[in-house]
Amino acid sequence: MHDALLACCKWLENTPWGTTVRNSAWMYPVIQSIHFAGLSLWLGTTVTVDLRLMGVGERRQTAAELSDRLFAWNWIGFFVVVLGGFLLFSADATTYMSNPAFRMKLVILIPLALFWHLVVQKKTRTWAQTEETPAIGKWAGLIEFLLWIAVVTAAVEFLITNAVTRS
Amino acid sequence: MWESLQHAGWVTTLATTGWLYALVSVVHYFTLFFFVGTIVLLDLRIIGIVYRNQPISLLAKQLRPCTWVGFGFAVVSGFLLFSTEAGDYVAVTPFRVKMLAILLAVVSALAVQWNVPKWDRAPVIPTTAKLLALVSIMLWLGAILAGTEIAALTGLG
Repeated sequence: MHDALLACCKWLENTPWGTTVRNSAWMYPVIQSIHFAGLSLWLGTTVTVDLRLMGVGERRQTAAELSDRLFAWNWIGFFVVVLGGFLLFSADATTYMSNPAFRMKLVILIPLALFWHLVVQKKTRTWAQTEETPAIGKWAGLIEFLLWIAVVTAAVEFLITNAVTRS
Repeated sequence: MWESLQHAGWVTTLATTGWLYALVSVVHYFTLFFFVGTIVLLDLRIIGIVYRNQPISLLAKQLRPCTWVGFGFAVVSGFLLFSTEAGDYVAVTPFRVKMLAILLAVVSALAVQWNVPKWDRAPVIPTTAKLLALVSIMLWLGAILAGTEIAALTGLG
């Protein structure tokens, strides 16, 4: 690993929060659950809008209305996910960054999916004002859906490969 | 019984084929996060923290198919993952706690679904409704926590 990156990772591992999470037997699953709870809110709100864009679900609200309604909880979920993720990462930063699946997740997939999410969230206001979303909105929703599946896939890949190397 | 499930042909194939196990894991994680999120949103509406200007039934109708389809995928994928180490899973406490939490959480979700039309017609959402919604959130988060504890405490999965 690049020296500067390695130094950053080690610094994070030695912070008070990094050390506490790493050394506490009970805290790691609790923080992981917080990460998952935030992710539930994030995916619950995001994917519901994606599905509505693609034409799935109750038609009484347009995708634009639904997106606006779920906006606050979408970003609250994001905040919680990132907080949990940051704490988990701090506990074991060098291990995480040495894992190719995790690097893919953090460095490539999440920024890509997040950027796309921001585009979709902004554009949905203009695309999806009618009951039936135009084709561009449907494709955008589908792409976002697939991107977040990719993020979860990288995370699962990391869990599996990390467990293997640990045992 | 569980031991024989573990040794069934299709189960050992799943357990030993890396990409297949990963695929089922992804389905399980993705769908569980998604459906729990939709349930929590409805519960928060009932408690009264969100979308107060909208009738509960509108949000419930929007989310319901998402919730139950997501739940279906989560259960099927969960059962497949479980079957690979069935004998070991049933023997450990965090797994049993998780199953109990899910059972209670599903009962509470059905109770909510059954009562939403009634609560909609009431001038004010009854306190029992808000309590049920709060319990529902805690049960699902408890199930997630129990799930993470399975791996942390026993190394299974």
